[in-house]
Amino acid sequence: MRMPLAMPHMRSTPLRLTVLLILIFSVSSFASFGVAYLVIRKNFDTVLEEQVRQSIESYRSISDVEKLRERLIADVAVTDPRTMILQYTPDEGPRISNVTQFPPVSGFTVIPETAIEHNDLADSYLSLGASVAGGKLIVAQTRAQVIEMGEIFLTVILISLLPTLAIGSIVGVAAARQARDKIEVIAAVLQHLTSGKLDARVPLGADDTEDLSRIGLAVNGMADAQEASVASLRQVSADIAHDLKTPIQRVALLLDQLAGKTEMSPDQEEIVDRALDETDRIIKTFQALLQIAQIEFGHVRERFTQVDLRDVCEGIVDVFGPAAEESGHRLDLSLNGSGPFVVRGDKHLLGQVLANLVENGLRHVPAGGHVAVELSRDAAGVVLCVLDDGPGIPESERENVLRRLYRLERSRTSEGNGLGLSMVAAVCDLHGARLALGDNGPGLVVSIHFPSDES
Amino acid sequence: MKILVVEDDKATGAYIAEGLREEGHSVDLIDNGADGLIRASVGQYDVLIVDRMLPGLDGVSVVKTLRGAGNRTPVLFLTALGGVDDRIEGLNAGGDDYLVKPFAFGELSARIAALGRRPQMSEEPTILRVRDLELNLLTRKVTRAGQVIDLLPREFALLECLLRRKGRVQTRTMLLEAVWDIHFDPQTNVVETHVSRLRGKIDKPFKTELIETVRGSGYRIDA
Repeated sequence: MRMPLAMPHMRSTPLRLTVLLILIFSVSSFASFGVAYLVIRKNFDTVLEEQVRQSIESYRSISDVEKLRERLIADVAVTDPRTMILQYTPDEGPRISNVTQFPPVSGFTVIPETAIEHNDLADSYLSLGASVAGGKLIVAQTRAQVIEMGEIFLTVILISLLPTLAIGSIVGVAAARQARDKIEVIAAVLQHLTSGKLDARVPLGADDTEDLSRIGLAVNGMADAQEASVASLRQVSADIAHDLKTPIQRVALLLDQLAGKTEMSPDQEEIVDRALDETDRIIKTFQALLQIAQIEFGHVRERFTQVDLRDVCEGIVDVFGPAAEESGHRLDLSLNGSGPFVVRGDKHLLGQVLANLVENGLRHVPAGGHVAVELSRDAAGVVLCVLDDGPGIPESERENVLRRLYRLERSRTSEGNGLGLSMVAAVCDLHGARLALGDNGPGLVVSIHFPSDES
Repeated sequence: MKILVVEDDKATGAYIAEGLREEGHSVDLIDNGADGLIRASVGQYDVLIVDRMLPGLDGVSVVKTLRGAGNRTPVLFLTALGGVDDRIEGLNAGGDDYLVKPFAFGELSARIAALGRRPQMSEEPTILRVRDLELNLLTRKVTRAGQVIDLLPREFALLECLLRRKGRVQTRTMLLEAVWDIHFDPQTNVVETHVSRLRGKIDKPFKTELIETVRGSGYRIDA
């Protein structure tokens, strides 16, 4: 399991790359400035050492103790301890120094201000001690320049780095945002495509050489191919259904002629009637398949009008009312809330959807049961529900029953061709409506959520 | 009636022509759109039966051209397709009725009869009458043998539909279309139950039955 990233933004690849780039840039800047600083400081130190050594040498060259003392006294008087410290400790006699007390040193040593007894000093000194005539001499040069140089370097680094960081971050975030937006568009299109909206495409700008645009282009190409293959599949199945219809139709005509013209025994007549019924069923199945194919092509959408579902429901409940009573069912319509329950669509197809659902209810609910048609509105739009108190559909089967020609085991022997709910699903899709099958505890509830009619 | 059938499928064409001739109509059969258009323009037909899919000039174009030329002869479209689109396209092109193949001959015959003798719109009656039954379109009152009969709105519409075309068979699908504006074929016997309710009110209490069932076709109220 991967650790979730602390910041959700860090999931964006371009942003991550930007942060990494800025980090690398900062580290390398610090490193190169650091090396330059060290080299320059080394040079400074060498120069300082040389100065200190020369001072010592200049005193050493005086071999006469008295002369050395005079010279040192004169030098100490004019030397500012903040730039240079001189301390001569003779084997005998008083110490000559421009500071109160300098610690003993051997070789080149960096002595911090705190180790020296004196007020008003520089931060640190490079010091060298040596034996001169009649005593020990310490010369210490201030390292203020070296320290100052370090501060200047730090300032230069910060001044040169800060704008880079700021500009880099802004550009990086902007680029990341743009990339993220493009990726989101592509992701949304892919979502549409997988959910069956085959006409979804990634909008492309003028520049299609950029990598994300190329991915968009590829997605569109894939969608085109998918749409074309689905269309040809539909065309083929429609063609097959159509081609098979014609010969079956002729068989039906021949049977009809046979029934009309020939004197037959009641047995023979019954056989002809049954054959006619069977051809009728085959034809109806083809008809339903062709109709579903036609609905899926979506051309009907061009003819959509404002449809008040209340009228549709009242019509269907009215026409099925007596048949429902006859089969011992209660069929009623209830309106929740005030209408109008207007959607954009095709009223005949919507009527057929409702008729299919009501017929399904009447077919599967045992006599004495109840089939209810309900119209309501929710925040999203109009909701049409058909509820019953029959056996319902097991949850595992709810997806399957929307498939073409699929029938539950228990309905195999009953009427119907297994296309009713496929037709319902196709019409819902055509209307941009959401179809859901649920549990009415007990029974089935089929709900259709229509999108609100903006136009 | 004089009927022109424009149908390219030989078996279907022959079947229609033969059936209609047996019913006493005079029938011309043409198997392509171009010839059909010419015959329809020059011959004085009472009804045209036109297949939608024809070689050369298709049925919709034939009828559009005829209507464009001012020919008002009633047209019944035949089609192998049964989609919603097809029906509306056919009616928009100037067709008067629409029948999806395959069809029972009774259905075609009933629809032809309805088309051929459309009532004249100029003399709209206010009372429809058959024998001792009266239906008043203004007061929406129905009486039989002087007795007032209470009908539900749909029962009234159903009775009105049968009375307006009295003497002619109304098929189940014709009634569904006329009374309920339903253009698909429900699998439940919805029309039968409505008719039986109507019978219960206007026929059962009386000696003679007015609504007659025509086997395999539909219903009729005899004039």
